[in-house]
Amino acid sequence: MDMSQYRSLFLSEAREYLRTINETVVGLEETPEDRSGIDTLFRGAHSLKGMAASMEYGDIVEVAHRMEDLMLRVRDMGLVFDSGVADLLLEGSDLIERMMVDLEADREPRTPAGDLPDRLAGYTPPPPPPRKAADPAPAASAAEPAPAQATPSAASVPAVEPAVPSTPPPTPVEPERTKELEVTSVRVKTELLDHLANLTGELITNKNRLLSINRDLASPQLGEAVGETAKLLRALHDEVMKVRLMPFEAIVDRFQRSVRALAKKSGKELHFEIVGREIGLDRSILESLVDPINHMLRNAVDHGMEESAERVAAGKPARGVVKLSVARDRDRVLVTVSDDGRGMVPERMIASAIRKGLISPDEASQLSPRQALMLSCIPGFSTAREVTDVSGRGVGMDAVNASIQKLGGTLAIESEPGKGTRFTLALPMTIAIIHALVVQCGPIKGAVPVTAVLRTVELRRHQMTRVGNRSVFNLDGEALPLLSLNRALGLPLGRFPDGIVPLFVTEAKGRRVGIVVDRLLGQHELFIKPLGRPLSKLPGLGGGAVLGDGELITLLDVADLL
Amino acid sequence: MEERLLLFTVRGEGYAFELQEVAEVMEPSESYPIPKAPVHFVGLINFHGALTALVDLGLYLGKGRQARSQGKFLVLDPRLAGLALWVDGVESVVPASTILARSAGDGALCTERLETAQGNYRLVKVETLLQALEQGLAGAA
Repeated sequence: MDMSQYRSLFLSEAREYLRTINETVVGLEETPEDRSGIDTLFRGAHSLKGMAASMEYGDIVEVAHRMEDLMLRVRDMGLVFDSGVADLLLEGSDLIERMMVDLEADREPRTPAGDLPDRLAGYTPPPPPPRKAADPAPAASAAEPAPAQATPSAASVPAVEPAVPSTPPPTPVEPERTKELEVTSVRVKTELLDHLANLTGELITNKNRLLSINRDLASPQLGEAVGETAKLLRALHDEVMKVRLMPFEAIVDRFQRSVRALAKKSGKELHFEIVGREIGLDRSILESLVDPINHMLRNAVDHGMEESAERVAAGKPARGVVKLSVARDRDRVLVTVSDDGRGMVPERMIASAIRKGLISPDEASQLSPRQALMLSCIPGFSTAREVTDVSGRGVGMDAVNASIQKLGGTLAIESEPGKGTRFTLALPMTIAIIHALVVQCGPIKGAVPVTAVLRTVELRRHQMTRVGNRSVFNLDGEALPLLSLNRALGLPLGRFPDGIVPLFVTEAKGRRVGIVVDRLLGQHELFIKPLGRPLSKLPGLGGGAVLGDGELITLLDVADLL
Repeated sequence: MEERLLLFTVRGEGYAFELQEVAEVMEPSESYPIPKAPVHFVGLINFHGALTALVDLGLYLGKGRQARSQGKFLVLDPRLAGLALWVDGVESVVPASTILARSAGDGALCTERLETAQGNYRLVKVETLLQALEQGLAGAA
């Protein structure tokens, strides 16, 4: 029987099981007695084995089978779930994923199972550390827990055969799901969802066109009909976007894995907490978030978190906490990475930036503590006293900031020396259909996502002053530099005969800045389309859209343009 | 199916694309400026809902600007690119078997020189053109 037609379904379901296995392994390391976690791992490996057997993927069956056996020993034979078991299971999960990549690419398997099945089968926990002579002899019941007696010693384990009776030969099994889920949900190809979102976007563009036409016609009936259509479209858009949303859960196992590996490598004790796994984000945003979040977590573990001894000396618990949380805030999603580590010192950040020639002493004197923290987002800035191979060479926060701004989001940093640091990403729920501020600069109309606009201002000339060779204006007690979007676009500078200078405030390179434009044309709901080759290579553009009157405009990545 | 070529002219000189790489030949329509793009990127056009960059091929090849409202837009297959080329006009579509002789091209974009009954044409490879345009855009930053 030709099973190839079921391959994509197998890969999709198997990846769900691997994700569950990865997450559960990391969780079990903290609470090794958690019976439900142990059961989940056993079932996960068992289901993987069965699914792979039904597809005749022998290599995957072998690895999953040994993982299942190992968990059988944990579940029924008293083997303690220690970091050795965790490492082996994660290694098995990684190996199966690599095997699936080969399958997906429709090529001959390039990833042999190697000795992993043997190591899974022959695992014995490391002997306890030798006791000091002065240590009192432990009570007999506590000296060696029963599990160790049930586990064969390394010497007694055959080189190839599993140490425990193997489970019956694999038989195809149905994934374990609730009956309700089977009845009420269906799998849909992501291309179909993208197509649905595109059609909704086109409808919104056409609705804008009708609105534009009716501005000339001024027909009450048409206005009413378009108003109703707009309401229905809003509901349709919301529903379509909901369908495209994927829970944050879909990417968290990667963070658990990387934090675990980093903590192990740096020898730091920490607890990693994730909150808001169920919060949904647009698939495209979710995919773009993996690298920025990973980088912030690396920073938190490597630079933010102190060694245990240093923490204890500072009166803190030896074990630090790194927290990744996701929450909804109206039509935005807030992603926060926080730690209770050493925190950031604004004065040190400023001194470092001056020393590196990134800012002048004059500019430094204008910085608020908040702006000082954002200096970490300037390319080339790093306060790490020494470069480590964990978080690299301090070139990452500017890239994080740039990625978030590309998504129409913002990055904020709060920190208290000795208490910890919190990085907050504020992101739109979706990047396909957005609200944008449309601006005019010379002949060019451009759109800026409202999520990247802190506010709009119409400034009178006398409200502008100069600091050094820069024009600034005062906003909420903070002197913000004024930059010209015309200049950034290579256009002649705007003239403002009525003395009113239109601008919007945004964040660029970690600082709030005022961006002067020729005109502010108001907020529009836009369906953003990709530009494709070759324009996708032009920096500063994030796509394009059709306005109601048929005019085409581009989505500006202001931070990139500046 | 036999390969066919679309023959067109740019400032009086003959060029050719493989027909399968061209989606449509359009009359000139309104275009909208592209921020920070080099001058040969004349603007954005709406090709059945797809935002498509319009390049004045003559200007790109250093042969001067196309006169407004004249010529044709050759829209490339959207699966290959979001690109339309502004040319003088399309001459004909010919089967590859009617090419009388082929010789080496005279430039990076023109891989072959084609001799036909209608005259000589330079065969332009879309991928080569795209890569050259992309390099120019990255350099415009």
